[in-house]
Amino acid sequence: MSESGVSVAAGHGLGAVTEQSPLGIESKKLVMWLFIIADAATFGALLFGYGYLRVASPNWIRPFSFTPTVLNGLVMTAALLTSSLTMLLGVMAAQAGRRSACIRWLLVTVALGTLFAVLHIREWLHLIGDGWSPSANPTGGAVLVGGTFFSVTGLHLLHVLGGVIAILVIAFGFGRGRFTAAHVETTGLYWHFVDLVWMFVFPLVYLMNVR
Amino acid sequence: MSIEGSTREPGVRVYLAVWVALLAIVGVETVLVVYGGLAPGTLVLALLALAVLEAGLAVMYFMHLRYERRLLFWSLIPALLFVLLMMNQFWSDAHRIVKLHL
Repeated sequence: MSESGVSVAAGHGLGAVTEQSPLGIESKKLVMWLFIIADAATFGALLFGYGYLRVASPNWIRPFSFTPTVLNGLVMTAALLTSSLTMLLGVMAAQAGRRSACIRWLLVTVALGTLFAVLHIREWLHLIGDGWSPSANPTGGAVLVGGTFFSVTGLHLLHVLGGVIAILVIAFGFGRGRFTAAHVETTGLYWHFVDLVWMFVFPLVYLMNVR
Repeated sequence: MSIEGSTREPGVRVYLAVWVALLAIVGVETVLVVYGGLAPGTLVLALLALAVLEAGLAVMYFMHLRYERRLLFWSLIPALLFVLLMMNQFWSDAHRIVKLHL
């Protein structure tokens, strides 16, 4: 890197001149940040929609009890928060060049993400077994209770499943030398965002619906 | 090409402290719901405030934004907050339209 902030991409033999990023991060990380901001607006819209529908439905009922729903949710929350910590440890290991340690932490992250997804899907199956669906409320209250619950938690669950697959791909790619520590860090950003969204989903969709 | 971005690197202790703080906030949220006896309006405000605090910790420490250049923060966060605040404005507008039965 030259002092003027201009460098030559001589490695490609093209002699291309590139400017240093004014934001101080690599392009892949910037793209992930832009995706996260856009996705945050998507989840924001979904949660605002949920709030609006809830306020506009006079026959809204609170279907959840502490046991098992909130208890299950607390275990899911602890798993997701801990997976963010293990992801950070994986990123630190990758940046320090400790390849096998990085892969180990990433696989622990995948296991915790999978635990979250399994608990979530099990909860969904119980609710569906009780007669809940996006268009049905077995208690006779507002149908939108199920509609909003499955929409918000479903979109988040898709993000978790996508993240688990992405981390697996990155872990194996990093192990084979195909990916760098920057790839691990960028994937970590996405995973922390999935965690962040849950910080709003859990209190607003679960805790606010406890009887 | 190397990118000169991060000025400092948080250590494992910082990450552990944030992780404990996040778990504690979830605990406070749950206690508020189960034992707080708050009215729904007050409860949702309290839960939202705690969720924003959690999100702030996650963004600044886990997502490393505190250690990046300030320009990155100012390029990303105000735009998102503006969008979310505008959604809040339109939310109340939409509620009014439903009341008018248009």
